[in-house]
Amino acid sequence: MFKWLQRLDPNSSGLAKMMREFGHMIDDGQHIFDAAANAFLGGTDPEVIRSDLFKTDKRINHTEQKIRREILVHGTVYGATELPVCLKLMSIVKDAERIGDYSKNLFDLAVLTQKSHDDDFYADLVELKDRISAMLRKATSIYGSQDGDQARAFMREGDQLQDHCDEKIEALITSKSGSGEKAATALAYRYFKRVLAHSINIISSVVMPLDQLDYLDEDKRTRLGDQGSK
Amino acid sequence: MPALKRIEERPTWVRVVELIAFLLAFFVAVKLMGSSIKMLGKEQADALWAGIRNPFAGLCVGILSTVLVQSSSVTTAAIVGLVGEGQISVTLAVPMVMGANIGTSITNTLVALGHMTRSQEFRRAFAGATMHDFFNLIAVVVFLPLELLTGFLSNAAEWLTKPFTALAGGEKFSSPLAEAFKSITQGIQGFVTDTLGATGFWAAVILIVVALVVLFFALMRIARIMRSLMAARFERALNNVLQKSGLIAIVIGMVITASVQSSSITTSLLVPMFGAGILSLEAGFPVTLGANLGTTVTALIASLATSHPAGLTIALVHMLFNLAGILLIYPIPRIRAIPLRLARGLANMAVERRYWVIVYILGVFVVLPLVGILILK
Repeated sequence: MFKWLQRLDPNSSGLAKMMREFGHMIDDGQHIFDAAANAFLGGTDPEVIRSDLFKTDKRINHTEQKIRREILVHGTVYGATELPVCLKLMSIVKDAERIGDYSKNLFDLAVLTQKSHDDDFYADLVELKDRISAMLRKATSIYGSQDGDQARAFMREGDQLQDHCDEKIEALITSKSGSGEKAATALAYRYFKRVLAHSINIISSVVMPLDQLDYLDEDKRTRLGDQGSK
Repeated sequence: MPALKRIEERPTWVRVVELIAFLLAFFVAVKLMGSSIKMLGKEQADALWAGIRNPFAGLCVGILSTVLVQSSSVTTAAIVGLVGEGQISVTLAVPMVMGANIGTSITNTLVALGHMTRSQEFRRAFAGATMHDFFNLIAVVVFLPLELLTGFLSNAAEWLTKPFTALAGGEKFSSPLAEAFKSITQGIQGFVTDTLGATGFWAAVILIVVALVVLFFALMRIARIMRSLMAARFERALNNVLQKSGLIAIVIGMVITASVQSSSITTSLLVPMFGAGILSLEAGFPVTLGANLGTTVTALIASLATSHPAGLTIALVHMLFNLAGILLIYPIPRIRAIPLRLARGLANMAVERRYWVIVYILGVFVVLPLVGILILK
């Protein structure tokens, strides 16, 4: 009898739409990261992907602004009950936007210098890029399902890879090889690490309380243990 | 006993049933309002209406009563009840309806005060809220004298009422709803006079208070339930407003307001968006105009419960007045800019000197109407 009223269901609210748009933002983040990292690792000519890369970054930025506006409208209509989810979303759209920014930085690096295949770090960087790319692919589905176990596994893997980046940066700084090449490689590891950090932050919103978001450098065991299991 | 769930958490069918129940209560209250005044007796009623014989005093009564109940829907529904039961004439009621339009704009202005501690946000929010006030003030300044001189609004409304009156069997007709509620109101009146033992003047006073309380409560609940049922649609509509303007925005404002029976809800929803800077005054203005038009639906619905076609006439006056306001101000960009410019000017003054906020709110919505009533009654 009230079938037509199902269309008024609160679950069909703008929140679901914002979640979808946010998922597209992460997908775009993965696309732009893959393109920039491939250019740096010599798989693609930077000039070939330049236009697509900047267009994707612009789309990410526009989606962030759109979601921000929608968050305000959603909060105004639904009031305090939806405040926590609105604030979380406001925080993590920034992370998705930063993935685009760091990928752009990686692209700038690719324009200046491309990694030579016979370098000691080349194979490691390729493997790292593939793992980050796979993680970004997983991020959309984990965020969509809000699965706590998968989120914690994602964060654990991300933490390990971040540690790996730190080790490589330290090794580069203390090594005696050519300085220009070394700086570029160090920066690449740094950008990879930042992309990882922001993707971890997005997924941490599945299991972490609002006030703990963005504290990427806090004790990892605390994040995944006590607080994360709440 | 288990605690009652919040409205938003109740199943849809429960909310629909509640909505119907409160709508019926609303009709009963409108009917009761008009018929209870009759019990006052001619002398007392005449003394009561003597105060609004001066149209400007009527305007002030409309402003003040709406400010007091924070709802133009309550005021206009009560007026429709009085006119529809033959207690006051359409001519006397027109200025009060116009006053209700002004009075209702205080609500979103008060909402804007929530941004007061942040200057730039407050400037935008206050301007966004008061452009509605200025639109209503301009419409009254132009159309009240014109109505007094020519009666163009009441004549047009009477002309529009005629087909309905003829269709329904002439002046003696009362709507089927009015007939249905007659026995209920008679029952309530019987309870007050026979069971409680109140008679004459005091019985009328008790019944008028009961009618006003039920009217207020029913409208508030209708607004709340409709808001919970329609929230997802409002959200989509408001997101559309951010991208579109003009006629579509007027329609959006009208539909939201007609759904919740309150222009204040619509205009107050816009205030945080103005404050945050995501909605410009130019884009939000047509939504407030639509809200003005949408709120006239309450009076039209209320007229269904009255016994006399004049109830429909005054409801149509309310609608035509707001329509005329839109046609006067919106189509020509230079005229459209006037309320916006005035609102921006006031907001700038309010940001520089906060006492202007108090001067404006108390002056326009309390002091002037009070002084007006005292001098002109």
